[in-house]
Amino acid sequence: MAHGTTTAPSEDFVITPVRPGEEKGTWSSWIQDLFFTVDHKKLGLMYIAVGLFFFVIAGLMAAAIRIQLAIPNNDFLHPDVYNRFFTMHGTAMVFLVGMPIIFGFANYLVPIMIGARDMAFPRMNAFGFWITFFSGILLYMSYFTAPSLYNAGSAPDVGWFAYSPLTAKAFSTGHSTDYWTLSILMGGIGSVATSINIIVTTICMRCKGMTLGRMPLFVWTWLVVAFLVVIAIPPLSACQIMLTLDRYLGATFFDTQAGGSAILWQHFFWIFGHPEVYILILPGFAIMNEVIPVFSRKPIFGYPVMVGATVMIAFISLGVWAHHMFTVGMTSLGNSFFAISTMLVAVPTGIKLFNWIGTMYGGKIRFELPMMFSIGFLFQFLIAGLTGVMLAVAPFDWQLHDSYFVVAHFHYVLIGGLLYAIFAGIYHWYPKAFGRLMDKKLGLWHFWLFTIGFHLTFFPQHIAGFWGMPRRIYTYEAGRGWEEMNLISSVGVVFQAIGILLFVVNLLYSLKKGKVAGDDPWDAWTLEWATTSPPADYNFEKEPVVRSRRPLWDLKHPKDPDWKYE
Amino acid sequence: MAHDPHSHSDENSVELPTPTAWPLITAFGIFLLFFGLVTTVVISLLGLLCATIGGIGWFSDVFPHPKHEPFPIRPKDQWPQPISPEGRSVSHLHVGEHGHREQYPAAAHPYAAGFVGGILGALVMAAIACAWGVLVDKSIWYPINLLAAVGVPSLAAADVETLKVFSMVGLVVAVITHFTTAVLVGLLYTVILPMLPAKREWIWGGIIIPIIWTGLMWATLGLISPAMNAKIEWLPFLLSQLGFGLVCGLYVARSVRISTQRTWSVAARLGVEAQHPGEK
Amino acid sequence: MDNAINQTLPVEEETPWRLPSIRKVAMICLITTETALFTIFVVAYLFYIGKSLNGPYPYEVLHFPWWASAALFGSSGTIMIAEHYLKKGKHGLFNLWWFITIALGTYFLGFTAYEWYVLIYKEGLTISTNVFGSTFYSLVGLHASHVIVGLFLLTIILISSFRKKIDHEHHEHVEMISWYWHFVDAIWVVVLLVVYVLSMNY
Repeated sequence: MAHGTTTAPSEDFVITPVRPGEEKGTWSSWIQDLFFTVDHKKLGLMYIAVGLFFFVIAGLMAAAIRIQLAIPNNDFLHPDVYNRFFTMHGTAMVFLVGMPIIFGFANYLVPIMIGARDMAFPRMNAFGFWITFFSGILLYMSYFTAPSLYNAGSAPDVGWFAYSPLTAKAFSTGHSTDYWTLSILMGGIGSVATSINIIVTTICMRCKGMTLGRMPLFVWTWLVVAFLVVIAIPPLSACQIMLTLDRYLGATFFDTQAGGSAILWQHFFWIFGHPEVYILILPGFAIMNEVIPVFSRKPIFGYPVMVGATVMIAFISLGVWAHHMFTVGMTSLGNSFFAISTMLVAVPTGIKLFNWIGTMYGGKIRFELPMMFSIGFLFQFLIAGLTGVMLAVAPFDWQLHDSYFVVAHFHYVLIGGLLYAIFAGIYHWYPKAFGRLMDKKLGLWHFWLFTIGFHLTFFPQHIAGFWGMPRRIYTYEAGRGWEEMNLISSVGVVFQAIGILLFVVNLLYSLKKGKVAGDDPWDAWTLEWATTSPPADYNFEKEPVVRSRRPLWDLKHPKDPDWKYE
Repeated sequence: MAHDPHSHSDENSVELPTPTAWPLITAFGIFLLFFGLVTTVVISLLGLLCATIGGIGWFSDVFPHPKHEPFPIRPKDQWPQPISPEGRSVSHLHVGEHGHREQYPAAAHPYAAGFVGGILGALVMAAIACAWGVLVDKSIWYPINLLAAVGVPSLAAADVETLKVFSMVGLVVAVITHFTTAVLVGLLYTVILPMLPAKREWIWGGIIIPIIWTGLMWATLGLISPAMNAKIEWLPFLLSQLGFGLVCGLYVARSVRISTQRTWSVAARLGVEAQHPGEK
Repeated sequence: MDNAINQTLPVEEETPWRLPSIRKVAMICLITTETALFTIFVVAYLFYIGKSLNGPYPYEVLHFPWWASAALFGSSGTIMIAEHYLKKGKHGLFNLWWFITIALGTYFLGFTAYEWYVLIYKEGLTISTNVFGSTFYSLVGLHASHVIVGLFLLTIILISSFRKKIDHEHHEHVEMISWYWHFVDAIWVVVLLVVYVLSMNY
């Protein structure tokens, strides 16, 4: 992790009280660094590392799913194993990959960007990380401990949104569903703790002169996301508590035979579930907000409108949940309301897309790796948004609900959108975190292979969906017209896998062999580039003072500083 | 941390929170607590113990004062490179330069005028429509239900006789739709009217815009609400639109224009944060 | 060589740069998230009113908790009095009123325990009896668990105060705990309304 630069202090400096075993360079110090740390930068990197670890595991599960579906009547995976795989893939990708990685970025960047030395509650930050980590361990423990102790069940197999009554004790014996419930309940504690931390840090720890109107858009977006987490995770925890009560104490919340309601689970889950989509994608927007201006050599277009659009997205996202439930038989009025509110989200999202394009327009675009991924993001997220508006039309959704069209739609959001933003962010801030640039050649291979593979895999799924292929089937008969689309889809995975492999190789290779980055390799404008790469444990020798949204621009252009115009 | 009274910061060191394992132990305790629920209760008890010990340890870390320790600052030769000014300069585009138009209104009517104008216009519009309903169609509920039919499927499917009977849902939906739209249009008027190329704003707001709007509706209503399209009478529709336009347009046009503050900073416009004394 | 970020800007030490208190913002966030949690349980309760397939029904077994509610609402007042004395530096009176707050909270908790005892053993209503049981015990139980946490925090302050550990810089801590206690009270208003008023006729 990031402990490269701290050197032995010279004699005339105060000596840190060294605890036993903390001498630099020993194994014990390395372990203590990892387990005892409350430093936001180390925790941020640990979050991202854990996220990437689960990303590889859940990605391999997805690859196995694609192998199974490559040809009709395949028997690569047993149906039960297949159910567990798509459940674990979905759950892990949302809760153990998406959430930790975005929290990692926030942890690393928010304090530096606002000129603070650490988070407001450093210990709670460590707690949030560890409980997220253990929730992942708990979920994957299901593979090992669920069968061995009771010999009933294995990993959860109820789908990532675990609709009732599949989760009822009668239909899910053993403890497999409990692993899912308890793991998510645990992860929720961590997410809320970290989000409160981020809100408090942003509001209360800004350096001198960093007014709300001057905060980098990354921090603004994160303020909104953290608030959304604080509001949206409790409904998830609440319905997990109810499910646990149902399963352990025989409560009847979701037991239809005793007067409970299975639909209520859907409502409660999606009251969390839809904001969750924005909790995941808004941090992607946050990264775009920083990367695109730097590589277009222009300040962001429409800063206040971007802030407003973010707030609006968050607000509207709290009132769209039932568009996941058009087919359960709501009233026409309900359908109309949720269809309209869902389409409404496209307005602020469109504003954002146009503002990014406005930022690029007339700029001197540098096609470095972060920018390549950002441009990919713009294209793919546009497609994702358009299919989203299509699905918001209730009668259209009746045709395509639970089909591969939906699968294609949300993979365009989460891979084409979020994952590309994450890649852009990693290529952008890797030099800050480790002091070396990532290899551009390998990175370009990664970009093109992954982009080709991604579209090969997921674009045909739109068409397969139109042709009636339902989600979650473990195989299909020949002659229904889905063979070609599924084969293309599975071939795409090969490209994606090689791309990811090159990315991981690049991460490790550049650690020692990458070009030395210097403090500010991209000629950027926010505060994190004002300190060394990697930053010292205390971030800044002196607490910075800012007068505009782009403090480093002011220093680089003393005759033409930004604060003259803001 | 500089405001912390227990801080021991000086020239050569910075206060940083002391590293601690208690959060890890607490988290591990909670993990065991949950893990026990899916295995055996003994593990849960162990987890409870572990979490309690972790919690007590954590408490001792932050009470009475959060633990800090001085962290030595690096020697100056390892500090970040000073940021050097760049030679290149940036030319700025100013409003009015090289024939660039000033597209936004420098002054607009107050939103309050748009709000009140919208409400007043809405009342007049409703009065005209309902009067026509009573006089010609012999039912005050007919125009109301017809408006609500856009959003309420049961009304859209209903026949003329049903539409003439009072419907609670119809009334609520129609009132909400009517007043929301009217207020939105009123607010829009405050900004749009000053941008239109004429001295007499009320002609635009009162006559031209309602006529354009009616024409647009006439052309597209079949797509938006077939039910309404089949039953609508265009004369009262135009009359009520004109009634709205004249009242709202006149009210908005008569209000005093105020500066849009386009040249102010966002913070100043929002009034949230004061600027630094050193700034202009 | 000055730190790079400070090099061109003359730092004006007098410039007031005030930020909100960390604890207050954190407590507001915590209360927000807890409110979201309670909202779901309240919605579940409201949704299931009158949907139980078998008894016992709310009108048969619930009694409006006059004394317990009065105790809990009263404790909001006593904690404010205690805070008032703390700010004035009268630690003896602070301890007294703080103790009264704890006593009132404990009485409330005792009432809940007794109510549950009667419901379970006399009336035969458990969490698995019907949807009323499920929603009632989860909502009231969630509130009771918050009362327990609140009492725990109050007790820590009382012990620290007896050991003379509470000084000037802890006033805000005390204030935050009182905020939490007021929140627990406010939740009880909602629970009271939903459980003991709205569902009484079903």
